[in-house]
Amino acid sequence: MNIDELRKRVDNELASLKDFEDVRRAKASLLGRKGVFSEFLDGLKLLEKDQRKTFGKEINLLKAATEGQLQETEAAFAEEEKLKAEALSWIDITMPGKVPVLGKLHPITQTFEEINGIFTSLGFSVAEGPDIELEYYNFEALNIAKDHPARDMQDTFYVKPGVVLRTHTSPVQIRVMEAQLPPVKVIAPGSVYRCDQDVSHTPMFHQVEGLMVDKRVRFSDLKGVLTIFIHEMFGSATPVRFRPSYFPFTEPSAEVDIGCVICRGKGCRVCKDTGWLEILGSGMVHPQVLRTVGYDPEQVSGFAFGMGVERIAMLKFGIDDIRQFYYNDIRFLSQF
Amino acid sequence: MRIPCEWLNEFVVLDIEPHDLASRLTMRGLEVEAIEEYKPTFNGVVIGEVVTVEPHPNAENLTVCMVRTGAETLPIVCGAKNVQKGHKVPLATVGAMLPGGFSIEKRGIRGVESLGMLCSERELGLSEDHSGIFILPADAKAGTRLEDMAGIRDVVLDINVPPNRGDCLSVYGIAREVGSIVNQRAKLPVFKLEPSGNEEIRGQASLAITNLDACPRYVLRMLRGVSMVPAPFWMRNRIQKCGMRPINAIVDVTNYVMLELGQPLHAFDYNALRDKRIEVRPAGEEMIFRTLDGEDRKLVAGDILICDGGGPVAIAGIMGGENSEITENTKDIAVESAFFNPYFIRQTARRLGIRSEASLRFEKGIDLDNVDFAGERAVFLMNAIAGGTVVRGKQEIYEKRERKNISVSVGKVIEILGTTVDQGTIVNALRSVDLHIVKEEESGFVVSVPNFRHDLDEYADIIEEVARIYGYDHIPATTPVTAVQLRRRENKDIFAKGIREYFTAAGFFELINFAFFSTRDVESFLIPPTDERSSCVGIMNPLSRDYEVMRTFISASVLKSIAYNVNRGTRNLKVFEVGKVFFLDPQGLPVEHPAVAFAMAGKEREYFWRDPCPEYDFFDAKGVVEGLAERFGFEVAFERSDEPFLNPGRSADILFDNNKIGWIGEIKDEVLNVYDIDQKVYGAELRFDRIITKGLVNPTYKPIPRYPQVTRDFAFSVGDRTAVQMIINRIREVSPLITSVGVFDMFKKDVKSIALRVVFQSFEETLTDETVNVLQGIIIQEVTGIQGVTLRT
Repeated sequence: MNIDELRKRVDNELASLKDFEDVRRAKASLLGRKGVFSEFLDGLKLLEKDQRKTFGKEINLLKAATEGQLQETEAAFAEEEKLKAEALSWIDITMPGKVPVLGKLHPITQTFEEINGIFTSLGFSVAEGPDIELEYYNFEALNIAKDHPARDMQDTFYVKPGVVLRTHTSPVQIRVMEAQLPPVKVIAPGSVYRCDQDVSHTPMFHQVEGLMVDKRVRFSDLKGVLTIFIHEMFGSATPVRFRPSYFPFTEPSAEVDIGCVICRGKGCRVCKDTGWLEILGSGMVHPQVLRTVGYDPEQVSGFAFGMGVERIAMLKFGIDDIRQFYYNDIRFLSQF
Repeated sequence: MRIPCEWLNEFVVLDIEPHDLASRLTMRGLEVEAIEEYKPTFNGVVIGEVVTVEPHPNAENLTVCMVRTGAETLPIVCGAKNVQKGHKVPLATVGAMLPGGFSIEKRGIRGVESLGMLCSERELGLSEDHSGIFILPADAKAGTRLEDMAGIRDVVLDINVPPNRGDCLSVYGIAREVGSIVNQRAKLPVFKLEPSGNEEIRGQASLAITNLDACPRYVLRMLRGVSMVPAPFWMRNRIQKCGMRPINAIVDVTNYVMLELGQPLHAFDYNALRDKRIEVRPAGEEMIFRTLDGEDRKLVAGDILICDGGGPVAIAGIMGGENSEITENTKDIAVESAFFNPYFIRQTARRLGIRSEASLRFEKGIDLDNVDFAGERAVFLMNAIAGGTVVRGKQEIYEKRERKNISVSVGKVIEILGTTVDQGTIVNALRSVDLHIVKEEESGFVVSVPNFRHDLDEYADIIEEVARIYGYDHIPATTPVTAVQLRRRENKDIFAKGIREYFTAAGFFELINFAFFSTRDVESFLIPPTDERSSCVGIMNPLSRDYEVMRTFISASVLKSIAYNVNRGTRNLKVFEVGKVFFLDPQGLPVEHPAVAFAMAGKEREYFWRDPCPEYDFFDAKGVVEGLAERFGFEVAFERSDEPFLNPGRSADILFDNNKIGWIGEIKDEVLNVYDIDQKVYGAELRFDRIITKGLVNPTYKPIPRYPQVTRDFAFSVGDRTAVQMIINRIREVSPLITSVGVFDMFKKDVKSIALRVVFQSFEETLTDETVNVLQGIIIQEVTGIQGVTLRT
């Protein structure tokens, strides 16, 4: 029995290991059931008892060492493999990512949704009316007399005698009241039209009208509801002021101002140094308007209000040119 | 209305700072839009008294004046001709600074020492007048500073008077409101008109009114032998601050009194009045009349005219005629003070396109009771300034009008305002603006409305007065107590909201365009006159041809937006617009339908380093419609379209329930060219009123299958123009177990090939190979039964 031959064989085998496969093969050929060590250990049976003991001990020592070495080599190969894999999976994470292409709602729609959201949460429902409106609904029913300057062809687009493009969303008030009995609690968003086009006017723009009629609706309620609206829209610290004004279809009427959002009341170009910005018109529904729709002003009262959506959007977003809304420039639309 | 505080102070004592006053007026409903300060633009100018005027020893055109300024008397060389001994004049002393940085120094002029300069109004920056030295009123005090003279330092409030408050279009009218604010009563000007001759107006001029409704009051007064002088500085100064231009003393007085009291006045050259008669009557027929601005005006029947014996001399309340205007030769004056019915003035002024200061006031209604007082005031001032003899008496026709009474209950005031105010507070508030309380009871009170208020008709108007004076600020903010009233949103609104969500989620930007377009847009889209989209709702008075009709489709607006962006360098576009389209309806009002249009141009992104970025094509657009249908749970079909603006090979009509609801396709280049777009655009437009005819589809739960699905792929050779949809439909009809049929490849070598993936799914059991094999066989049999289709192996 030549132990040296065995050792030589093992050494040769271990020295030639190049990869995992070699390790696997070496394991089989050396340590496997039919491997070299098994062969040698089987050969022990032929030896004398004391020789068997000596040789056996040596062979087993050599086997353990071989096992250890093979394991080490295997681990080294694994580490090498891992590093290789890591090197392969490296990418330049500074390359630009693929940004999802998003669409956006027009800022006017966004503003509409915000306004509508506030009022619907206050229990108002949404009503709509036609853009092409009877002169009667746009004017007479709203207590705007035949010879009122607003009815001039210079202000109103006529489709034919008696039919106009509505100049405000207020005719929806009349349509709603004609169609139902109180309580009424609606807002009416929509497009309106006026014969006016310059740096601060577009021939079409947008309004939201509001109307609430019930028993014992008071001017103080108008103040309460509109104050809540403004605080929701512009922040709860926004100063609000109600000042007397004139609209043919409300009495008393109030213009509602907010503290200038640009200069915070110090005075600037936008608020013409007054510190205040006009934001909406409002008032108690004129008894004549209630009578016109068949309501009894002795029994019910109400308030109405109307606001320009572009105006509110301009203040909210800091837009200084109303015409921007209608150029539909993507560089504009993508900002909101 | 521009209100100089210095003038206002004549009627109420202003012990209030102008900014404070402005904000309190604003809170009264008289919004002060601007506060303008007037300050002297000079210094070192004192009032001097001319002691002597001597000719300059060495210059013919100059004089040497000795001017006393309190303690000193200074020699001043002067070039103006109008300076006389005893005049009070502005003297810029040595060291004074005049507007434009012009400083006064001691100078020798042709051998005479001059210690200052006498100034014209223009040199002091007070007006444009440079005709001579500014002669000050005789009572000006020598030695005092010129800048302390009344009117030089001032604050002008620019007040936005609401259209129903014609009574506030005068300094006195504003003073009445200010009086209510500062707890005073505004005082009317005090004067006494003394006739200076024996002449009676009767016999000099007669008066007649044919339509008392149009003119319920007319007063004519006369003044003879006036001299045509300019109005004094203080009057011109006030007129100018109010935004009017001084002309001569007579015309200036009419304007001055109008600004002061709100009563427009007109002065005629008495000697130009034919037959010495005035008649107020409506025009009988069309005629041309030249107004004093030199314009020929076309009058029509019904216009109210002031006529003399020969015809019209003025358009009542709007503008006088050239034939009777005040000229530099005028000697005798007839002054008109009248009330004209606002309705008539508005009609005529609007038709003629004239907005004069007079018509502005008559249109809103003036004070019927104040007509004569203002006329008297004007004659008094003219006489005081321009001299002459005041003719005795007046010619007047006056149909008195009863004051309106309005009864109001205190309970109603409280109920409407939502705050508790007692009757005493209410009554005091109303009295402070000259509203008379004629009856006071426990339950309420009766207000008598003075004739200067045309805006008070019923209880609500009185409540507004109370609220306005009491202060909106003092009314609390409350939350209303009201029953809930729910209105369902209309389906089209719910759908519109869903559509907007869908498109933005799909990466589209929303557009909003004007709802009008031009018939040229219809032509540009090659739409024939027989198509309903050619029958547009027209605007009678459009702003321009671009906006002459209401749009019948949205895509023209969308193309304009695309052009706008493409021409500014944004070439990759996905945009949509939701809006109304309008059609004529012979039955009544035009009809309005909701529609949505979208368009895609360029590619999703310009580049991405890892992936190719292909240009959009028909199928990108089609997928958007398919996705929309899927999102809202309705089924659409596509058929070849003959829309004239789409490329025939690459366009489809979109059908729902066999009805056309819209179109999709590649827009023809000849259409794009008109809109100045140089790249392909794929677009679509759908009328969603036609989709929601059957209501909205509410999603309902379908159980998730518990058994695995089986997929099988098929490849067929097909004819070049075999519609794949037909093959898909055949396969779907084979069995309800087929849940989807997809096209995963299409290519053409020698023949066109398509590859389909079919998914089989049972909700009852796991499908066996045998079952699927049977179905597979039927599919092959069915599909290869189509002419020209064979199975590829």
